[in-house]
Amino acid sequence: MATTTQEKQSQAGRHQEVGHKSLLQSDALYQYILETSVYPREPESMKELRELTAKHPWNLMTTSADEGQFLNMLLKLINAKKTMEIGVYTGYSLLATALALPDDGQILAMDINRENYELGLPVIQKAGVAHKIDFREGPAMPVLDQLVEDEKNHGSFDFIFVDADKDNYLNYHKRLIDLVKVGGLIGYDNTLWNGSVVAPPDAPLRKYVRYYRDFVLELNKALAVDPRIEICMLPVGDGITLCRRIK
Amino acid sequence: MATNKQEQQSQAGRHQEVGHKSLLQSDALYQYILETSVYPREPEPMKELRELTAKHPWNLMTTSADEGQFLNMLLKLINAKNTMEIGVYTGYSLLSTALALPDDGKILAMDINKENYELGLPVIQKAGVAHKIDFREGPAMPVLDKLVEDEKNHGSFDFIFVDADKDNYLNYHKRLIELVKVGGLIGYDNTLWNGSVVAPPDAPLRKYVRYYRDFVLELNKALAVDPRIEICMLPVGDGITLCRRLK
Repeated sequence: MATTTQEKQSQAGRHQEVGHKSLLQSDALYQYILETSVYPREPESMKELRELTAKHPWNLMTTSADEGQFLNMLLKLINAKKTMEIGVYTGYSLLATALALPDDGQILAMDINRENYELGLPVIQKAGVAHKIDFREGPAMPVLDQLVEDEKNHGSFDFIFVDADKDNYLNYHKRLIDLVKVGGLIGYDNTLWNGSVVAPPDAPLRKYVRYYRDFVLELNKALAVDPRIEICMLPVGDGITLCRRIK
Repeated sequence: MATNKQEQQSQAGRHQEVGHKSLLQSDALYQYILETSVYPREPEPMKELRELTAKHPWNLMTTSADEGQFLNMLLKLINAKNTMEIGVYTGYSLLSTALALPDDGKILAMDINKENYELGLPVIQKAGVAHKIDFREGPAMPVLDKLVEDEKNHGSFDFIFVDADKDNYLNYHKRLIELVKVGGLIGYDNTLWNGSVVAPPDAPLRKYVRYYRDFVLELNKALAVDPRIEICMLPVGDGITLCRRLK
């Protein structure tokens, strides 16, 4: 999101005030999932990175532990080898991905903020998987445009995870649909936007929530009618829409 | 569930009265997912089967449309070919599976009630996928025991979906863990049991909900510590726990 550091910090704080910790019917149910099935299975490195990130002022941006676990399993299930991630923050989903890929797996990871990535990098290095990561600082669009220019890159990615500026998801989609392989998967994060997709018009929403909500609603409509993909909206984390490229 | 028809019918009715239609924070959010991403993409035969099933008195037992969509995508993602289903009812998840498998795919489907299966079978036949299904009427345990006896069957299934008597899931698990291939997937349905897994001790729960809840809680604890699998509890439908066999 193209905002100043200070603005982002206060946004993160205000977002936290908004009740639900998840999209589920109760915090208790979400906690049950975390304590029964997620935390006991969480790799040590991911736990360390999660705790490190919890101390960071923008920690609302991080991928949740249940989502990390799901991504990790998904990547193993589809035998992913070459992946891309747009939006890294401190690297929790990046680590979940790196742990899932084979030793010669490759992840192209992009974020406008290198500092946050470097906060988590020591943990990723300690986990022995940093060699799989090619990190690029800066906006993703120029990188994507360059990749698309060369036909060699078309259909070269097994999995692409987008967890970044919501007002650009559809623009990313135009490029990613050529870069992901047929049968491959694109995952768009935060597509249920804290449940605000169904908030009544007069609901008190934070400015940034309301602003990006329009883009999220538009994205969801567009993906639903895109004939090049099959979709599935999963209520994991803040909502992930999985898009399987069919042609 | 080993109850007589009348009891089951009234159970289904009473279950429906219990507020939430899903595990999500609001019915509105669940409806949003269904209307934005599920119904517009639902294959015609699945829609027809869903509407047919909605008229049935025990329709609470059916797989929900969002879950059907997820299963269908999952099966394509893992290139499943040989699967098993324990608990069929009118066949919504069975049809979802059959549509996902290749033309020479096979599904061993078991249910104590052939009548309900036959209610949905014409729709499955019309969809051109009934030839993939091997339906066995009766309890699943004897079939599983026979399969396990022959080592040829060990590791022969890509995916196994269990949506049946919750008091037997752990007993099924003892057999299924041998029958699913290493790297393959077992899916246990209803593992969040309408959210009742976190209901306070004095909460007014229907008798059958409370009875089976103990088994669900026990199952969840057991799967979490089973070293032969990696797990992921997804809040889709009534909760599916995906178990990927490691060894």
